Amino acid sequence: MIESFRVLQGQLEQSPHLLRLGRLFSETVLIEVEGEEIYLTFEKGHLTQIAQGVSRKTPWRFALRTDAQALRQFWQPRPAPGFHDIFGLVKIGRGRIDGDILCLVKNLRFFKEVMALARPQAGGAACV
Amino acid sequence: MRIEPIIGQYVTVTIAGTPRRSYFETAGQGRAVLCLHTAGADTRQWRHLMNDPEITAQNRLIAFDMPWHGKSLPPEGFEREEYLLTTEAYIETVLAVVEALGLERPVLAGCSMGGRIALQLAALHADRFSGFIAIEASDFQPAWYDIDWFHRPDAHGGEMGAALVSANISPYAPDVERWNTLWMFMQSGPGVFRGDLSFYTRDDSLTHRLGQIDTRATPVHLLVGAYDLTCTPEDARRTADAIPGATLAVMDELGHFPMSEHPAGFRPFFIDALARMPARQSKAA
Repeated sequence: MIESFRVLQGQLEQSPHLLRLGRLFSETVLIEVEGEEIYLTFEKGHLTQIAQGVSRKTPWRFALRTDAQALRQFWQPRPAPGFHDIFGLVKIGRGRIDGDILCLVKNLRFFKEVMALARPQAGGAACV
Repeated sequence: MRIEPIIGQYVTVTIAGTPRRSYFETAGQGRAVLCLHTAGADTRQWRHLMNDPEITAQNRLIAFDMPWHGKSLPPEGFEREEYLLTTEAYIETVLAVVEALGLERPVLAGCSMGGRIALQLAALHADRFSGFIAIEASDFQPAWYDIDWFHRPDAHGGEMGAALVSANISPYAPDVERWNTLWMFMQSGPGVFRGDLSFYTRDDSLTHRLGQIDTRATPVHLLVGAYDLTCTPEDARRTADAIPGATLAVMDELGHFPMSEHPAGFRPFFIDALARMPARQSKAA
């Protein structure tokens, strides 16, 4: 799972339009996958740190909680209905979003497109 | 170079006692089909069907921008008004356009909130239409989001709205049409998407009216995309089941804006829907 976020991190650095969209986004986002916690720290749109492990000391702005299979389906090139969007995961009961939702919504295009970067890119790397 | 056959004009209609300069487009000849756009968008959603010579050979497609949308102006004094669409105002608007354009019992095709109002009109004013194509339409959808997100002084409501509704677009949609579809939401006027959503997510008056729709007099065909998170196939099925004689088609590879996000995928479903509608001629506008 963590490998997918490393791929995503690399893809983001090669996506100048996303770095531009996220230039005001400097927040930590919690991704929780079946109890495993992954903290994504963004600085001005760059994903500067990926920290793994349970932490009660790491502040985060908003969280996406889901399961590993749902996330794998989300990262398919053409996900099945419901798995195609983070709000879709919530809608079908495979995900939960909490925290500062308004912060997420203000940066929604950026965050959704960053999360989708771990999908196989045309002519690029696939993710697990 | 190619000049498209779509013709754009303006008509002033009176709604709630005040004149509204409204933009409409027409293409084709024959049976009139009045097309209603979704919340937060405009007539451009119908551009592919209006450019389809097979469809326009026997159908005269008419689409108009609702007041506050696209090229239709908001009413005088809008700068002091909170835009909140209501069922009553929406019905009055559609009927006023039918009257102003001299349409004699057109087929009514609407998507999302346009589909919702098409079903309201099927229940309340069926005599003004010959049939109804309700796309991504359901009895009622409470919001799974806060509609106030989309009109704030500290953020761009259009960009947030586009990011939200992108959840309803199928991954099968061609990228260019996905982004053309989202562009309309990005361009939407301040507070307009929120005002549309107020109607769509708070007015449940259609629920108890579905049973009074007489599909023997005016057929009702529903279309729903499997990737629509807002009006899911289950929502459309529930709605169709409550209308005696209504038919439903589920479009496996489409989302909430099928005519705009994936025109090639939607085309056969729309042609089938038109074939289910009575053949009628309309007077010229």
